[in-house]
Amino acid sequence: MATPKKIPPIPHQKIIIKLFHGIIIISLFLMIGSGLQIYNATPVFGDKEGWQFPDFMTLGGWLAGGRDWHFAIMWVFSFNLLIYGIYIFLTKRWQRRFVASSDLQAIKVGQNHKRKAYAWHRLIYTGIIPILILAIASGLAMYKPVQLAWLMSLFGNWKTLRIIHFMTVPISLVFTVLHMFMGLKVGGLRLWRSMFV
Amino acid sequence: MHPQSLSRRQLFQLSGFAGMGLLLDSCGLNEYSTAVGNAIDPLNQRVEELLLKPQALAREYPISSIDPNALIINSFTDVPQIDPTTFKLIIDGAVNQPLQLSMNDIYKLPLQTMVIQHVCVEGWAAIVQWGGARLKDLIALAQPKNTARYVYFESGDGYYNSWDLPSAIHPQTLLAYQKNGQPLPVDNGAPLRLAAPIKLGYKQSKWVTRVTLMNQLPIKRGYWEDQGYEWFGGL
Repeated sequence: MATPKKIPPIPHQKIIIKLFHGIIIISLFLMIGSGLQIYNATPVFGDKEGWQFPDFMTLGGWLAGGRDWHFAIMWVFSFNLLIYGIYIFLTKRWQRRFVASSDLQAIKVGQNHKRKAYAWHRLIYTGIIPILILAIASGLAMYKPVQLAWLMSLFGNWKTLRIIHFMTVPISLVFTVLHMFMGLKVGGLRLWRSMFV
Repeated sequence: MHPQSLSRRQLFQLSGFAGMGLLLDSCGLNEYSTAVGNAIDPLNQRVEELLLKPQALAREYPISSIDPNALIINSFTDVPQIDPTTFKLIIDGAVNQPLQLSMNDIYKLPLQTMVIQHVCVEGWAAIVQWGGARLKDLIALAQPKNTARYVYFESGDGYYNSWDLPSAIHPQTLLAYQKNGQPLPVDNGAPLRLAAPIKLGYKQSKWVTRVTLMNQLPIKRGYWEDQGYEWFGGL
């Protein structure tokens, strides 16, 4: 009798995780689109003569429209992340589902390629979280630099603050693409499908 | 397909997915901007009112940090011709003592100077020194009625704007007649302009000619606000 081929278990995500994940993606894209609209009013790089993002990348139509979207979706974006944070804390998910010292060990000295890829993937998607928190903190500092002066002072001056807030866009996009790539590498389309379907 | 490998085609599909999200933004969503803004504005305005500390002073900067060229001049139409020798500032509305003050009357009030960060809705900021009379002192002279909740500003160029009363009587809200230690240039709003660290630049009317206290906001709340800018505009 032939031994049956071992089939890896089908990855499964909880509905609430799919929801958090989906809301992060949608609200992040809306925040980026409206943020680039606001950027165009005075480019961070080059001021009034600076290069502007083309219309198809911006959301809002003009500065006031961009601000309408940005300061509406900010609630969805940050509260989704906050509730997610509370959830992973209460369920102790942060201990099991995010990068741990064993992953760093695997990356540094591990010989198993699969284990290494898995560790890299965990490192990358864990790394997105502090970037999103930085985006919110720097955004709040710019939104209310006087009433939240303590937050503003953490970022130095206005120009530095604008650069930091803007840089969270390319950095989070790079991490997102790496996360997608590594997700496929680690778990294939089945892992992908498990997070969206 | 082997799950470990990623073909070039798949990589294109992935980057397409990322780009598609951005593209979606421009497909028809722009027309909902005002509706989205109107829906969230009551909440955001409430938060702004709660965040405002009416007596707390905003950070002031050393004179050495003033960057005179950073303050960009934004006006919506031409510079109005106002003769400062005959100019009278009107203070009226929900007050017991409506006033008309000449510049000499205003110079007699305590001069307050402050080096603050001026933040424009367009995203730029400039450290600038303003000097002038506290709006609080001017409003006190007119003896506001206790029903007054808003202050409406008319400008010589037709610009108009309105503020919440707590922001208007904030100790750093000035009707300024000096900029960076010099008499206020006409392009910056001479003879009198609003200057405050707690509001965005479009709230800081130039060439202010009339200050009217109101119990309720009028339908036309401000030149830019009526076109879609947020009314409170707090920092």
